[in-house]
Amino acid sequence: MKIEDVVKAEEGEIFDIELDESLLKANAELAEQNRALLRKHGVTAVDVMGSIGAGKTSLIEKLVQKLKTRYRIAVFKGDLTTTIDAEKISRHGVKTVAINTGNECHLDANLVRKALSRLDLNGIDLLFIENVGNLICPADFPLGSEKRIVVVSVTEGPYMVVKHPFIFMDTDVAVINKIDLAEAMGVSVEKLREDVKKINPNAVTVATNCRTGEGVDQVIAALKL
Amino acid sequence: MHEGTITSQIVENVLREAQKRNAKRVLEVRIEIGKLMFLNPEQVRFWYEMLTKDTVLEGSKLVIEEKEGVVRCPECGYEGGFDYVDDPAFHTLTPTLNCPKCGGIVEIVGGRDCFIKRVKMLI
Repeated sequence: MKIEDVVKAEEGEIFDIELDESLLKANAELAEQNRALLRKHGVTAVDVMGSIGAGKTSLIEKLVQKLKTRYRIAVFKGDLTTTIDAEKISRHGVKTVAINTGNECHLDANLVRKALSRLDLNGIDLLFIENVGNLICPADFPLGSEKRIVVVSVTEGPYMVVKHPFIFMDTDVAVINKIDLAEAMGVSVEKLREDVKKINPNAVTVATNCRTGEGVDQVIAALKL
Repeated sequence: MHEGTITSQIVENVLREAQKRNAKRVLEVRIEIGKLMFLNPEQVRFWYEMLTKDTVLEGSKLVIEEKEGVVRCPECGYEGGFDYVDDPAFHTLTPTLNCPKCGGIVEIVGGRDCFIKRVKMLI
């Protein structure tokens, strides 16, 4: 039956529209696509997050040195700008893609997707994704990785973990770096370890000195690599 | 932390809806921010004002509702707010993934998103 009684909006009428639109959904969906793509090619992706200057790049360099005979490795290196760290990593002979975010304080799934298109996924088994130095935002933007590492260092003071509980809730491995400087800084590594345990009983905490490589084998064990 | 990014996404999405409906003016935008997003409402408002200038959104009212973080315990079925560690050394309560009811390990199920709930516009 044809309906003739139609209500149409008139000029000057006010409409109240329900949207219920999530702003993070787009990223979460892309992250799932990345995860599926990586799985399909048998690639294990590991997020490396952490504060500025905590030693994320140094940790990745050490991990690459120790793992490159067993795995075919690629690294994504996120930074606002420059390829300084990416060049440092690529000197170890692994495929490295620099991701420059411009003014953004974290990587997102779309940037990672673009970077993935630069890789031959059949030619790698392990991918490290180093995020922009930041303990706040990366927690909200999943990228599609299987495992997550958060790196902090004793030179940032004794409260780095408790001040950023949410990034530690999301992590599999918490790395406390620069332990050779703990005494000089008057910071207790054990206390930081306890802080992680209180916030996330699932996370494995490893104390490292990424300049010498101390503790890096435990990080590898914690990642089950 | 990323108030600028999130607010520009809000403005972009509302503008798209307004254009779709040939709106003359947007009067009110209602958003919901999960507290685990760490968005400062005051900064969101500041960005909103900046980003809506010279658009159909200019002068519109921004209503912000904040939503608490919610966790669920797979062990005992608890669903609700976080448990907190009350350590005097921290000077503040620190949230923990331990279940407040049974001590098991909880999953975060709410408070980590940001929604545009409703938009009021003049057609």
